Amino acid sequence: MSTRHSSRAWIYGYIAVCVVMLALPLFVSDGYLLNKFARYIIFGILSLALCLSWGYAGILNLGQAVSFGLGSYCMAMALKLRTIPIQTGGGVPDFMSWNNVKTLPWFWEPFHSYAFAIFAGMAVPAILAFLLGWFVFRARVTGVYVAIITLAMLVVVNLLIIDAQSYTGGFNGITDLTTLKLFGIAFDAYSKATYYLAAFSLIAALLIGLAIIKSKTGLVMQAIRDDEMRVRYFGYDVAHYQNFAFCVSAAIAGFAGMLYTLVMEFASPTFLNVSISLSIVIWCAVGGRASLLGAALGAIVVTGVQGSLSDSPKFLDTWMLIMGALFIAVVLFLPKGLVSLIDIFEQRFRKQAAGGGGPLTPTALPAAAPAASELRQDEVG
Amino acid sequence: MGLKRRDFLKGAAALGAGAAAGFPNIWIKNADLAFAANGEIKVGVLFSLTGTTAIIETSLNQATLMAIDEINAAGGIHGMKLKAVIEDPASDPATFAQKARKLVVSDKCVSVFGSYTSASRKAVLPVFEHYNNLYWYPTLYEGRECSMNCIYTGAVPNQQQKNYIPWLVKNFGKRFYLIGSNYVYPKEENNVCKILLKQLGGEVVGEEYVPLGHSEFASVIQKFKDTKPNVIFSTVVGDSVVALHRQYKAAGLDPKTMPMASLTTSEEEIAAMGGEFAAGHFTSAPYFMSVDTPENHKFVGDFQKRYGKNKVTNFVSEPAYFQVYLFKQAVEKLSPKDIAPPTIRKAAWGQQYQAPQGLVKIDPKNSHTYLWPKIGEAQASGQFKIIKNSKEWVEPLPYWAYPGEVCTPNGMTQKKA
Repeated sequence: MSTRHSSRAWIYGYIAVCVVMLALPLFVSDGYLLNKFARYIIFGILSLALCLSWGYAGILNLGQAVSFGLGSYCMAMALKLRTIPIQTGGGVPDFMSWNNVKTLPWFWEPFHSYAFAIFAGMAVPAILAFLLGWFVFRARVTGVYVAIITLAMLVVVNLLIIDAQSYTGGFNGITDLTTLKLFGIAFDAYSKATYYLAAFSLIAALLIGLAIIKSKTGLVMQAIRDDEMRVRYFGYDVAHYQNFAFCVSAAIAGFAGMLYTLVMEFASPTFLNVSISLSIVIWCAVGGRASLLGAALGAIVVTGVQGSLSDSPKFLDTWMLIMGALFIAVVLFLPKGLVSLIDIFEQRFRKQAAGGGGPLTPTALPAAAPAASELRQDEVG
Repeated sequence: MGLKRRDFLKGAAALGAGAAAGFPNIWIKNADLAFAANGEIKVGVLFSLTGTTAIIETSLNQATLMAIDEINAAGGIHGMKLKAVIEDPASDPATFAQKARKLVVSDKCVSVFGSYTSASRKAVLPVFEHYNNLYWYPTLYEGRECSMNCIYTGAVPNQQQKNYIPWLVKNFGKRFYLIGSNYVYPKEENNVCKILLKQLGGEVVGEEYVPLGHSEFASVIQKFKDTKPNVIFSTVVGDSVVALHRQYKAAGLDPKTMPMASLTTSEEEIAAMGGEFAAGHFTSAPYFMSVDTPENHKFVGDFQKRYGKNKVTNFVSEPAYFQVYLFKQAVEKLSPKDIAPPTIRKAAWGQQYQAPQGLVKIDPKNSHTYLWPKIGEAQASGQFKIIKNSKEWVEPLPYWAYPGEVCTPNGMTQKKA
């Protein structure tokens, strides 16, 4: 698996994506489009986060939206507290005074500080993931049971947020937010600043992800994905590595959630619903869950096509059908996702370069080996 | 060397193809904002056609489209036709925000009619505020909002309750049990109810909130039996309304001595539960399908002709219908070259229209609407018998329960006195 990422085509792939992303605002100045693309990029980060735990550690987390939503709420709480007082009822946010809450609850207090909020946006999801992971992985729960437990977790957190409406805004979520200002830059939802923030965050997430999967820890994670029992026999603490992947994934998803609040200008309990969680899995699968770049591109391409199709009056009734057909086509013809096109191009090209009967290149050689590992990976996922 | 370059080109080509599929509009920059071009005026229609609130929102979509078609059939505005751009936000706040952006920026709609839930209105308002566009919201809601970029044509708490609570106290007694779904609208309505009850020397014997979609009311009904309130004041919404009414009847309670007084039970809910379960209970709203005005006979007749004999109109679909006419009158006041959201807002303030419920007017002070609250008693037929009609239109006071907080016409902000 790691040989693929060290091949030149992949490095060019990473560079190309970064360049395209960063150059985009040179051609697009319209705030609406920047906002839309920033949104797609944030979904890319979210999908990449799932790829770390699902594609590289074999943990299919169907509750990824919990981390995303909690991150989003952390940012919204900080912004809400800074909304000019006229929109809040006497020191407490407006929705609290509707619910007859007179003083700010203790857990809102620290959100007066942006630094704390940004830290919490990653730490809260990570801690929650750690606690859940502690029980799940110690108990050697694997495969589809992890998916079920994480899904249940999602539903529970969602219900709690809706029910505790005096403190969370309930069904409406947290709305009427001010604009984030950090280091003299205003991160307005339609600005280039916010777009670049999202773009650089995706690049940073890619780099962090690559650093992890290239490290020894990353190798152990992949080994666990392929054969958990065997790794355990080697003497590794499997639960420890699984929980690490789970927590890092949650922290990155939490960060994506914070960005999402900036772009959407509100936080809502619908950010942690089942349909978002399932969408993340689809993005990952379409893009290629065995590749960080693939997962990110999968989200960007799927949400991009989805947005364009559903916006166009020609496809108002049929766009869901078209999306469904696309998913099926990708799964049937490119089971490793859209990014496997890079491998296909590369291999075809190498054969040409080597000239008919020339010796096989190193990347073409182990073609059968990854296929076997893919198979096991499917059993886990 | 050549190897590398070709590698790169192929990778780039694949990426380019992917990007092109994702962003077909990438090179199209927005032309200057020009509303009312090509002999048409674009308006957005943003009601969910799929998802959890699809049933009620579809009726709002239909009422809006009917008004638009009527206006076009009568020659449009300044000879220009209204063009409805319909989007389906799928009952999801994030999709609401996204579609609102599309309607305002890509389609250059001059106004958007939309939303049923407060959650979806809250989600789209930042978009309308950012682009200084105009959102027309037809639903009764909890008040305490004052956006420059929204025209509110549904009732706020003071309009629904001002005549209602004294009437209930006079006819049934002073002991109220408050039951609502657990979200902001019932809580705020109950805050208002408690203030009114206090003025009248009334008493709250119980206050309870059930989760949205809740359908098991046995314990609640036991509490009714234990506390024996004179009035059960209900702000339960959606499917829960059906369950509550059915279980109330099954428990042998009698509307004559302990009626449920609702703000949220409309002809739609009664159709879902069956008229015999609703009979004898009360609702306060500015509109019922049985309102006896020529405008309403026409509205109901046209609606059923267009969408089916068994369709009902309700207190949300009526504002969804008349607000399009208020929009029309506002645009008519402007010369065609001046048509833009801020000028429409200004022209809309003070507009009056003979709606099915009576003569309504947009209050220039707060962009809410003067309405005609009525008290209706549900009948076994599924219709309401109107017991009491307000003698005059009632002023909208979105901050009624909060003395010192007011909307001001200049920027419409809430101010501490």
